Amino acid sequence: MKNIHEIRDPIHVFIKYDSDERRVINSRPLQRLRHIHQLALTFLLYPGATHRRFEHSLGVMELSDRIFQILTHDDNLKDQTKKQFPELSQKDYWRRVLRMAALCHDIGHLPFSHAAEKELLPEGWTHEKLTRDIILSQEMKEIWEDVTPPLRAIDIAKLAIGPDKAPDLDFTNWETVLSEIIVGDAFGADRIDYLLRDSHHLGVAYGKFDHYRLIDTMRILPASKLGEDDESEEQFLGIKKGGLQSAEALSLARYFMYSQVYLHSVRRIYDIHLRDFLTEWLDNGKFSTDIERHLSITDSEVTSSLRKAAKYSSKIGHEFANRIMNRKHFKVLYERNPADYDINTEAASLIKKSAEEKFGKNRIRLDSYAQKSGFINFPVLQRDGIFASGVSMSSILAQLPAVAIDYLFVDSDIIKEAKKWLHKNKRDIIKPYGEEE
Amino acid sequence: MNNQQQRVVVIKLLDALKKNGSWCGETHIQKAVFFLKAIKKVPVDFNFILYKHGPFSFDLRDHLPLMRLDGLIDMVINPIPYGPSLKVTDRGEKFLKQCPKTVKKYKDKVNFIARFVGSKKVAELERLGTALYITLKEDIKDIRKRARLINKKKSHISVEEATFAVKSIDDLLNSHLTREENNHANIETA
Repeated sequence: MKNIHEIRDPIHVFIKYDSDERRVINSRPLQRLRHIHQLALTFLLYPGATHRRFEHSLGVMELSDRIFQILTHDDNLKDQTKKQFPELSQKDYWRRVLRMAALCHDIGHLPFSHAAEKELLPEGWTHEKLTRDIILSQEMKEIWEDVTPPLRAIDIAKLAIGPDKAPDLDFTNWETVLSEIIVGDAFGADRIDYLLRDSHHLGVAYGKFDHYRLIDTMRILPASKLGEDDESEEQFLGIKKGGLQSAEALSLARYFMYSQVYLHSVRRIYDIHLRDFLTEWLDNGKFSTDIERHLSITDSEVTSSLRKAAKYSSKIGHEFANRIMNRKHFKVLYERNPADYDINTEAASLIKKSAEEKFGKNRIRLDSYAQKSGFINFPVLQRDGIFASGVSMSSILAQLPAVAIDYLFVDSDIIKEAKKWLHKNKRDIIKPYGEEE
Repeated sequence: MNNQQQRVVVIKLLDALKKNGSWCGETHIQKAVFFLKAIKKVPVDFNFILYKHGPFSFDLRDHLPLMRLDGLIDMVINPIPYGPSLKVTDRGEKFLKQCPKTVKKYKDKVNFIARFVGSKKVAELERLGTALYITLKEDIKDIRKRARLINKKKSHISVEEATFAVKSIDDLLNSHLTREENNHANIETA
């Protein structure tokens, strides 16, 4: 019987998987991802953005495996690395765990992906916690235990979500490196795939870069010269010098995609209107964290309700459903700018407070978001065998700013009036920061 | 502690570290803030886990670039092979002057930690930070047991190095915390 299968993919051409992985792909949590849009309501701006988390998950599995094969190829391992990671003797086991974890890394996503997850889940819950619970569920454990040799569910869960989102779990250095392959900040497979896939579907060129070259130059390296003044022998993901331009291109792609797509003001206000709708439509204003209920709700169910609610004013959530379905979204009144932030970095919040007093809370929304993941730095292996900091070797990486937004939106019915009001009062509203008693 | 106060503490710490001879790389800032929270109980809203070079806060990692974006701190690029360090900008200095109460409230604690951390190198900070993290998180009195646990979690730190670090941390805690403070010394790890 055929054990290796393949599926066509617009980014990676063919993605191969074995029969055990096919069981995971055919499981309810993975099949559900066929009905979760990768970019929420972005298709209302970029009509091509109708791709789903399902194909992204397959892409992350494919890329994670390619990275793993390069990193663990004997020619690419230094003696120091072999010594620090005895787990390399169980390479086949960890490769299978990694592929399964990559496949499952998004199964906890709520309908419409990231939209307002913080407000729509009970306190302390995130989609990563749901991902972990599903991987550890009986339904999935049966699959892990049937693999030869059996896979430990907790290993898969750790790699799928990473130490950042599982602070209660102990990660070995090896597990940290493997989770970096999937969800790492510098060049994780998740990031590589979503940039390439999103730009492909949206029809924007910003997200493309030479990921083949980047992956080919990845290595596990000591972070010894990560820019500081002495050496630690701890090892992380880094690259050979020849991959530096590809790493720069990835960082630029991310910068442009955040600036032009992910943080586009109209995309953001649709997310907010969707959150407002869901807050009214869901029981107690929250999604359930029960796995059965989680698996039963997708974008399809929400969309169906949105369409009904938009049509009938008696339906729960009518106002915000109408705004989404009939494109009557709020408009930008104010966004962060250097001159105002020089006076007070809380300028947007100050204007929001005054605007609410003037026009009423229901007609104002503030959206603040900053790109996560800090200063991207990683070790670079130079031709002479010396390690250097990526940021020191690349002025592009050193200068690339974080992308942050503060958008203040108002009801489109009052945008003209609000703009006049702001023009007249802005100087009085934005005062230098003063300490509270 | 609100976001502005947190920024004051980070800027003041960066300033004090520089005065105490620190390289002021991101790792130094990470460990210094951890020590400040764990030993001096400064209530910064940064959670730490054992990660790169010991205790590490993803919250703080995300916080620093925003402070740079707002012009309060900046990155200094150093010659290859060394990596970047951080410095306080003129705007950061101006911001401190707008917040004299917060500066006064935390100045002594910040200076204490800066004196302790300032002259230490990354590898030493990694060992000490990990030792402090394990000491406060695990209820293990025996020094060798704690050292072995450190070696298990961070295999590149030998048991001998870990033992020395654990002893140093015990000395630090004993000398600078009252018995009552010591009993309550704890860190949030989640």
